[in-house]
Amino acid sequence: MHYQTESWGAYMASRAGSDPLERVERLASENALVIFSISTCCMCHAIKRLFCGMGVNPTVYELDEDPRGKEIEKALMRLLGSSSAVPVVFIGGKLVGAMDRVMASHINGTLVPLLKEAGALWL
Amino acid sequence: MKSFCCMEGNRIGETGLSDSGPSNQHIAYGVLHEITPSATNFLDQQGSAFEFGELEEALVPKLLQGVGIRNDENKKSLFTSRPPTLEIFPSWPMRFQLTPGGKSQSAESTDSGSAQNTESPISRRTSDQSTEQHQEKLEQMASDSSRKGPQNHQPKTLEKRKGADSGSKILDAKTLRRLAQNREAARKSRLRKKAYVQQLESSRIKLTQLQQELQRARSQGLFLAGGGGGAGGNISNGAAIFDMEYSRWVEENQRHMSELRGGFHAHLSDANLRVIVDGCLAHYDEIFRLKNMAAKSDVFHLITGIWATPAERCFLWMGGFRPSELVKVLMPQLDPLTEHQLMGICNLQHSSQEAEEALSQGYEALQQSLAETIARGPVSDATHIGDYMGQMVIALGKLTNLEGFVCQADNLRQQTLHQMRQILTVRQAARCFLAIGEYYSRLRALSSLWVSRPRENLISDDNNACQTSTDLHMVQSTHNHFSTF
Repeated sequence: MHYQTESWGAYMASRAGSDPLERVERLASENALVIFSISTCCMCHAIKRLFCGMGVNPTVYELDEDPRGKEIEKALMRLLGSSSAVPVVFIGGKLVGAMDRVMASHINGTLVPLLKEAGALWL
Repeated sequence: MKSFCCMEGNRIGETGLSDSGPSNQHIAYGVLHEITPSATNFLDQQGSAFEFGELEEALVPKLLQGVGIRNDENKKSLFTSRPPTLEIFPSWPMRFQLTPGGKSQSAESTDSGSAQNTESPISRRTSDQSTEQHQEKLEQMASDSSRKGPQNHQPKTLEKRKGADSGSKILDAKTLRRLAQNREAARKSRLRKKAYVQQLESSRIKLTQLQQELQRARSQGLFLAGGGGGAGGNISNGAAIFDMEYSRWVEENQRHMSELRGGFHAHLSDANLRVIVDGCLAHYDEIFRLKNMAAKSDVFHLITGIWATPAERCFLWMGGFRPSELVKVLMPQLDPLTEHQLMGICNLQHSSQEAEEALSQGYEALQQSLAETIARGPVSDATHIGDYMGQMVIALGKLTNLEGFVCQADNLRQQTLHQMRQILTVRQAARCFLAIGEYYSRLRALSSLWVSRPRENLISDDNNACQTSTDLHMVQSTHNHFSTF
């Protein structure tokens, strides 16, 4: 997986003032598999391990390592309608959800086709 | 005459009524009978001058005053239970000694007016008159060589003396009546005591029976509501509630299983069978809902698996069964499967395995993080209180994540069961759920056998043998069910 740090900061600076949710959507559409995370969160660690175990390379945004991460966190909480913002997964620019939705989709066999479709997974 | 210290069966002390005696005596005696000092002072003052019977007669009102007894019955029990130290004239034969239930006959057989009847109450006598008389009498006693015998004489002489006084004839009659009453009351008291002792005995037997039952139940691995894991430790409210709900759920599940079995043997149509199968699945949804609630109140209870039987517990993964393991176990039972179905089941097993792995790694990361937090700072020296509290707060925050992991694990289990239902036909799904039910039934039976297995150091081998044969029978019956497939 690759972490967007440099370009993240620069990007944020240039887009100062824009709506956090818009920013989220924009970021999500830039890569096949996007995960919003917090570096100390263990559930985020679990979800990262899940994708790596499947042989996928996710793009991870650590919200605690960004000055405007708090805004994004709040926006994500509103989006999900839950008290915890992370981890949250976007595949092919579309919202999949938090850990429970990701696991459910993996069990019912919809996750892999979705990843393949988005180009995150080959084989 | 201070030498009449209690010799026979003296429990209180050697001093009796010697100089330092009274305080000893009365303290000890008071301790035994909660008698106020006034009574025993009386004893001291008058003691040497009194014949025993007279002493008793004079003593009782004082005693009763001291203890505050109002009714006859208590009076008598006071006397029946008093120690032999009250027998302050040891020179008199020991037929005075009150033995439980034994003495009444002999006492009653003596002269009714006998003051040797140790149960006789004593009417208050005019002290001056009596003192004189008794002083004389005691001197007579002292000079009398055969002390052993006189008990029969003395009361008679006493009676004679009494008779000599004017107005004391009436007293005699009263005394006689009272003595008779008291004998009767004493007899009743003895009967009550006997009844009480019998009650105690039967209660004791019942207690040991209950203890045995409890031991048996514990060893069978039955977890009653609030009973916990046999450690006898505190069980939280949420945990107790969950235990209760879980045992109810297991019972309900058995009902679903019999319904399924019945449906199979009745060769129900697919449509009808589907209703039963969906009912089973909904019942599993119920347990996950219950576990979700329990995780909020007591996640550690779920994680430790105390609510499950020992054999189930050895397969425990994040507070429940491991989905991929269950799928692996079920696969042979589901034959014949189509190619498509087989692929679906294999994928299911594979993906649940991946998900389990991811959750386990996340869980390990949590454990590591928690350990680091607790271990931070100097461990050998006492940490500064501020740092310590700060550490605790952080650790507490990390612990709250446990709930999330257990919930995700349960979510995985639920999804796995639903996916199985999706892949299989109605009849296959029916067999699947029956197989799951049987599997866990067997695990529970195994637990039961395990805890009641014969061991060398156990005394109650008979019990174990009986239990073992019962459990074997249970396992046998489940085996028969399974073999119909």
